[in-house]
Amino acid sequence: MITPSAYGWTESETLRQHLESRGVSRRDFLKFCGEIAVVLGVGAAAAPRIARALEAVKRPTVIWLQLQECTGCVESVLRTADPTIGDLLLDLVSLDYNHTLMAGAGTAVEKAKQSSMAANKGKYILVVTGSIPTKEGGIYTMVGGRTAEVLVKEAADGAAAILAVGACAHFGSVQAARPNPTGAVGVRDIIKNRPIVNIAGCPPIGDTVTATVVHFLTYGRLPAVDGEGRPLFAYGKRIHDQCTRRAHFDAGQFVQAFDDESARKGFCLYSVGCKGPATFSPCPIFQWNTRTSWPIGAGHPCIGCTEPHFWDTMTPFYGRLPNVGGFAVEQRVDTIGAALAIGAAAGIATHAAATVYTQIKRRKATHQVPETATEPENQDG
Amino acid sequence: MSATGAARTGARGSRLFGLGRGLSRERGNFTWVYLWGAPLRAMHWVAAACVVVLIVTGFYIGRPYFMTSGEASAHFLMGRVRFIHFTAAAVLMMTGIVRVYWLFAGNRFERLPALFPLTPKNARRIARTTSEYLTFRPGKEPGLVGHGPLQQVAYTSLYLLVTVMVVTGLTMYGQSNPGGIIFRAFAWVPSLLGGLQLVRLVHHVLAWAVIVYVLIHVYFTIRSDYIERVGRVSSIITGGLFVSTDEKYDDYDIDEVPARPWPGSEYPNPTK
Ligand code: HEM
Ligand code: HEM
Ligand code: SF4
Ligand code: SF4
Repeated sequence: MITPSAYGWTESETLRQHLESRGVSRRDFLKFCGEIAVVLGVGAAAAPRIARALEAVKRPTVIWLQLQECTGCVESVLRTADPTIGDLLLDLVSLDYNHTLMAGAGTAVEKAKQSSMAANKGKYILVVTGSIPTKEGGIYTMVGGRTAEVLVKEAADGAAAILAVGACAHFGSVQAARPNPTGAVGVRDIIKNRPIVNIAGCPPIGDTVTATVVHFLTYGRLPAVDGEGRPLFAYGKRIHDQCTRRAHFDAGQFVQAFDDESARKGFCLYSVGCKGPATFSPCPIFQWNTRTSWPIGAGHPCIGCTEPHFWDTMTPFYGRLPNVGGFAVEQRVDTIGAALAIGAAAGIATHAAATVYTQIKRRKATHQVPETATEPENQDG
Repeated sequence: MSATGAARTGARGSRLFGLGRGLSRERGNFTWVYLWGAPLRAMHWVAAACVVVLIVTGFYIGRPYFMTSGEASAHFLMGRVRFIHFTAAAVLMMTGIVRVYWLFAGNRFERLPALFPLTPKNARRIARTTSEYLTFRPGKEPGLVGHGPLQQVAYTSLYLLVTVMVVTGLTMYGQSNPGGIIFRAFAWVPSLLGGLQLVRLVHHVLAWAVIVYVLIHVYFTIRSDYIERVGRVSSIITGGLFVSTDEKYDDYDIDEVPARPWPGSEYPNPTK
């Protein structure tokens, strides 16, 4: 139903015209708008508004910086639930600048990026994947001889909005895990004066990116965010409160090992370290790979990848409590706690015995000696 | 009401020779001194019950060993345990409100300043009490009717400990309703501690501290009842102690015990 893009979305074309030229029916387009409206949580009734706004949209300029990262986020975004329109939005993204998807290379594309940014100053969308290393002057990530920090500052300067896509751009992800050798930080730690939305996750679900872009194109602003800067339409609820295994949690039915009977029955993964109770993410609803499945659905506990510094605070991934300072709390906290409690009980018993002993001795002494006798307690010292 | 002159002389005499130091007085003249108001006593026992329930249910939440079998829809074990945990927590917080009110409405042994016995004299007393506990040697100074400073420091720390439990507990509780009042009111907690998992960890570790505290607290109250013989344990039931009028106390003028030691009659005695 969709013809591969024989030609790109040209600048003067509206999205409607471009879709038609690629054989996307209006029906499909409206369906897409309806789905996005639901994803955005604005209700299917808003679909016509989204459709009207999107149809009229001229090709927006999107600059996509890939910094200190693994490209997994681009891979994830490629797998949007609706490949037809999702691809399109990606096409539009790839047009101006994206390392993985653009055809050109070298000085030419760097030049193209510069001129595109200059021509659309204050209007383009900046997408960032990857963190920004800050140690040693930021030499750990350089493109075209310039550091990630310089690049992101330059690009942010003329951006209308910034999408920090993935855990790296959010807070630095695995490279920022203790001891963070490259001093990796997220976009929000570098850019303070531009609207940033964090599409959190390692990687995030492509639909979240698509929906955020649609929101921006429709309403002209970024969606409402939570305290972490994540769009509320996607990250507004805990995994634990949307989880398909929640009935087993409430019932008290837990997987204790990955190969036990409970695992086969699909019980709750709480005891094998599920971080769903501490993680805000749309995974159970949006799911992955065109709604095929999602981690907990497939029997793996959530590792909390949408939460800041999850490599430090959510590890061990298969234990419920975090390791602090390299100390295996999960295994030891209850052992130590029990030892302390037993120690306290033993101490109490000993102390009580000694108290009773000295007290009896003292009482005996007091009762034997007349009132005027000398200090009886000196004798037991 | 107050001791007879003869008995008092006798007491002074025996004190002169050190007899009876650190020993309970089992014969002689006694008076009942009212210390703990009814709200404090009521909150103590309600809170104690809540803490026990919270420990038991918290344990299950932390390590759900018992499992149910069969259809999930037929069971609600974890759900029930959490419900009990949260209900006990709610009741505990209400007792906290009573205690805060009583920090201002209570008598001088119960009011806010009493919770912080931070004077050099009390620091020395704490050191002495500690050494008494370690050496089993009796004290060499007039006793106290109210809490000793060490004991008070322990109680105050427990109040703080429970406050941390309430704050971390409410933070976790608020997560199921993001954007709600509880969620927003405690949003600073995960940022302060470095994430929800750290909040959980603090709650979990301090649960053990509460357990150890309760053991020690119960031991020392019973021990003091045994040694002092003033009815210490029953004081948190009846509100008062039977103290000897043949002794002197640092924090209480035993000659001035009010006739009707009830609220509204300037109780316990206002002289200090
Ligand atoms: C979970 C259990 C318990 C907790 C959390 C707890 C807590 C406390 C606290 C905070 C106070 C100080 C009240 C104040 O003046 O502000 C106190 C006093 C007291 N508690 Fe407990 N308590 C518990 C259990 C018990 C038990 C089982 C006993 C009985 C043996 C007991 C006996 C007393 C007594 C006698 C006092 C008054 C101390 C005095 O007169 O010097 N408590 N408790
Ligand atoms: C003396 C007081 C308390 C004790 C000993 C206690 C103990 C515990 C323990 C051991 C856990 C399991 C932690 C884990 O490993 O995940 C827990 C969980 C929890 N507690 Fe408490 N707790 C106390 C007070 C409170 C209070 C006042 C609240 C306030 C609402 C509270 C709310 C919670 C919540 C929300 C959880 C997590 C439950 C879940 O995620 O399903 N607790 N508690
Ligand atoms: S599997 Fe994880 S998210 Fe799902 S109910 Fe269990 S603990 Fe919660
Ligand atoms: S289930 Fe948890 S760890 Fe897995 S992708 Fe979703 S948020 Fe990340």
